[in-house]
Amino acid sequence: MAVARIKFSRLGPVRYLGHLDMLRYFQKAVMRSGISAKYSEGFHPHQLMSFAYPLGVGMETKGDYFDLEITGAESGDEIRDRMNAVMNEGMKVVEAAIMPEGEPAAMAAVAAADYLVEYESGKDTDMAFLIGELMKQDEVFINEGEEEAEHKGGKKKKAPKDIRPGILEMRMTEDGIFMKLKSGSAMNVRPADVFERLLKFSPDQTALKASRLIRLEIYKEKDNTLCPLIG
Amino acid sequence: MDVSERKTALSHEILMKAEKPARYTGGELNTVIKEADRVKVRFCLCFPDVYEIGMSHLGLQILYGLMNSYEDVWCERLFSPWTDMDRIMRDEKIELFALESQEPVKDFDFLGFTLQYEMCYANILQILELSGLKFLAKDRKEDDPIVIGGGPCTYNPEPLADFFDIFYIGEGETKYRELFDLYESSSSKAEFLRNASHIEGMYVPSLYEVDYNDDGTLKYMRPKYEDVPVKVRKTIVNDLNECFYPEKPVVPFIRAAQDRAVLEVMRGCIRGCRFCQAGQIYKPVRERSVETLKKYADAILANTGYEEISLSSLSTSDYTGLQELLEYLIDECNRKKINISLPSLRIDAFSLDVMNKVQDVKKNSLTFAPEAGSQRMRNVINKGLTEEDILRGSKMAFEGGWNKVKLYFMLGLPFEEKEDIAAIGELCEKITELYFDTVPKEKRQGRVEVSASSSFFVPKPFTAFQYAPMDTMESFLEKASFCKKNVRSMHNQKSIRYQYHDAKTTIIEGIFARGDRRLSAAIINAYKAGALYDAWTESFSYERWMKAFEDAGIAYGNYIFRERTEDELFPWDFIDCGVSKKWFYKEWQNAKEGKVTQNCRAGCSGCGCGTFQCGICVSR
Repeated sequence: MAVARIKFSRLGPVRYLGHLDMLRYFQKAVMRSGISAKYSEGFHPHQLMSFAYPLGVGMETKGDYFDLEITGAESGDEIRDRMNAVMNEGMKVVEAAIMPEGEPAAMAAVAAADYLVEYESGKDTDMAFLIGELMKQDEVFINEGEEEAEHKGGKKKKAPKDIRPGILEMRMTEDGIFMKLKSGSAMNVRPADVFERLLKFSPDQTALKASRLIRLEIYKEKDNTLCPLIG
Repeated sequence: MDVSERKTALSHEILMKAEKPARYTGGELNTVIKEADRVKVRFCLCFPDVYEIGMSHLGLQILYGLMNSYEDVWCERLFSPWTDMDRIMRDEKIELFALESQEPVKDFDFLGFTLQYEMCYANILQILELSGLKFLAKDRKEDDPIVIGGGPCTYNPEPLADFFDIFYIGEGETKYRELFDLYESSSSKAEFLRNASHIEGMYVPSLYEVDYNDDGTLKYMRPKYEDVPVKVRKTIVNDLNECFYPEKPVVPFIRAAQDRAVLEVMRGCIRGCRFCQAGQIYKPVRERSVETLKKYADAILANTGYEEISLSSLSTSDYTGLQELLEYLIDECNRKKINISLPSLRIDAFSLDVMNKVQDVKKNSLTFAPEAGSQRMRNVINKGLTEEDILRGSKMAFEGGWNKVKLYFMLGLPFEEKEDIAAIGELCEKITELYFDTVPKEKRQGRVEVSASSSFFVPKPFTAFQYAPMDTMESFLEKASFCKKNVRSMHNQKSIRYQYHDAKTTIIEGIFARGDRRLSAAIINAYKAGALYDAWTESFSYERWMKAFEDAGIAYGNYIFRERTEDELFPWDFIDCGVSKKWFYKEWQNAKEGKVTQNCRAGCSGCGCGTFQCGICVSR
C-alpha cells in the first residue's frame, strides 16, 4: 500500500471540463493503464483518488496533482509512462512519485499556486504599470458590495475581503502576467479576481480581456518555504 | 496534428457562457481525427437531441466506428445544441459545426440523422436551419450535403419525407459501403439519388408520387420512374458475429445518460407482443455467440476504462447464452472491479441468484412489465407473462430479501374494458398480500413497496395494432384517474404507488407514428412557432402543435382515432420489413379474439421473415 502523487497538464479544448468530469476521466485512465489502484470496500468499489485543487471550467494547467492509493510496487516513472500510454488529447502526466509515509494528502497540503494569465488588450495598455500600481496597494478588496450570492433562500452580500496579503508575486513575462497566489484553507486567492482588480487601474477597462488562464504549479509549505507538491 | 492546439468553432468567451461547454468541443477518448483533404466522403452523423442522450446511443457508436473504419470516409458527430447555445448561435450568427473537425456541417457530403423517436422531429429542422440548409430537400443546392435518415422512425418516414434525400431502411452495418462507392462515382446529386434507390433498403422519397382519397386516406404511392422499386425491402445483417462492432467506442467526458460499456447480445425479439414495433421490425432474432461477446467485453473495457458494463437487447432473458455470458462477466468484473448493470430480466431462480451476486439488494427493486392488468388483456396483446409468473417471481424475490417491486402497464390498449384497468390495482394488491403471507413479521425490513406506472398506448406501423384506433386524451385521462382511484381503494394502498405518464405527448407521437407526407407542413409550422426538444417536458407545448396542425389544414384525428380496415393502403406499405401485412391483419383478428400466438422459439407463426434466411428462422 502506497500513495502515488500524479502531476498532470491539461491544455487546449479539454479545459472546458468540470472537476467531476476530470475525476471520471482519470478514473477511467487509471483503469486503462492497469496501475494497481486500491479500491474502497462495499458494493460499488471506487478508486481512492483525490485531487489537490479542483480545476475550474475553462482553466488550463501545466501543474495540477492528484493522489492515488495503489496496492502494488510501481515506481513513479512507471506510473507516468503507463498513464501516458493511455492519455487523451490535451491531457498528459508530467510526473509521478510515490510519497513517503506520513506525507500529508495533496489536498490538505496546498499552500500556493502559480498562474499565467494571457490577455487581449489595446496597444496602449501598459500592463507592467498596472501591475506596479496594484502591488503598491496595502489593501486590495474584492466583493466590495458589487457581488451578491444566493444564500439559503435569501440574497446575502459576500463580505469584502482583502486579498493583498495573498498576492505573493506578480510580474509581466513574454507570454502574459505571472502570478503567485496563496491557496488553501487559510487564504485562497483566485487569479480571475486579481485580474479583475488590475483592470480597475486601467483607464480603458473594457479593452482588457483574459483569453487564457493557466495554472503552472501548486505548492506546499515545507520549512517555511514553498515547494512543489512533488519534491 | 497537435490535438491540444485543435481550434474550437466557438470562442473561449462563448464557451464560458454555455451551460456545459464540453458538449461542443469534441476531443473525447477514441474520437477519430482524419485529414479532411485526404478523404473522399465526409459524413456528419447527427443524433437530434442533446449530447448526453445522443452519446448514450449504441447505434451511433456502431455507425461512427464502422464509417471511420473506411479509409476514404471521415465520420464526425453532431448533436442538437441545447437551448442556451441555440440562442447564442442565432444571436452571433454562428454556423453549426461537427464536433471532430469543428467545421461547418454545410461543407459535408452527408448529413445523417438517427431517428429514434417522433418527438425529435422539430430538432431536425433546428439542425438544418443552424447549418444554413433549407428544410425541403427540393430547395437544397447541388453541393449541399445529402440528408439521410435511419433508425426506427424510418419505418414510417412519410411525415419527414420532404426534408430528406434518402431514408436508409434497415441495419446500418450493411449498405453504407455500397452507398459511398456510388457517391464517389456519381457526377450529380440527381444521378446519385436515382441509383441509390436501386440499393436494397434505400428509399428516395422524391422519386415517388402520392395521392389521397376524399376521405383523407392514401390513394396511391408509386415510383415516378420504372427503374425505381415499388417496394423498399429493409436490409439486415445475417450473422452478428461477422459484422462490425465498436470495440473502441467514444467515451464522453461529461456524464452521459448511459455512462458504461454496452454489449449488444442479440437483435430482434422472439416474443411478438402485439403493441411492440421493435419486436417486428428487428426480426428475425439473431444472437451473438458468447465467444464473440467475451472478446468484445475484454476489448471495450481495455479501450475505454469504463467501470460498468451492461447487456443490451430487446429481451435479454431470451438470449440463449445468458447464463454462460453472465458467469464469465461476473468473474471478470469482480477481478477488475467493474460493475455489471443488469437489464430487466425475467424473475426466476437464476436471475435472482445473479442479482444477488452483482447488486446491492437493499437498493434495488424488481421489475415486471405485465403491460396489462388482466390475463384477458395480456392475451389480447400477446404478452406471454402470466399472473402466476409474476406472483411466483415476487414470492421468490421476497424470500430472497427484496421488498420493492416495480410494475409497468399501458392504458388505452385495444379492446380494453373497465375490469382490465381495475385488474391493475388488484394485481398490486395481490403482490402486497403475497409479501405479508411470505415474509413473517419479525423478518420484515421496512414496508413492502409496489410501484405501478402506466403509459398510454400508441398504435405503431408494422404491428398488429396498426389497425387500432387510439384513445382520445379525455379517455386516457379518465382511465388513468379510474385506475388511480381503484389503486387507492385497495386494502394495502399505503404500500402501493401509482403514477401515469403524460397524455399530451402521446397524442402527438400517435399522429406522427401513422402519419403521411402532408404532416411536414405542420412540423415546419410548429418549429417556426418555437417547437424544440419536445421530448423534454419543460419545452414541450401541446397547444403549439395543435395550432401547427390547424394552420396546415390537417385534421389530425383522422390519423389516430379511426379503426383502419384490412384493405386500406397505409403510407408505410411501400416498406417490406419482412413481416407480411396479411400476418399483421391475422394478428389483429387474433387480438380481437384474445387468441395467443406462440413465440418464434416455440414455433413459427409464418410471419414472412423466413425469407431473410438467417437467425432463428433457420436455426430452429
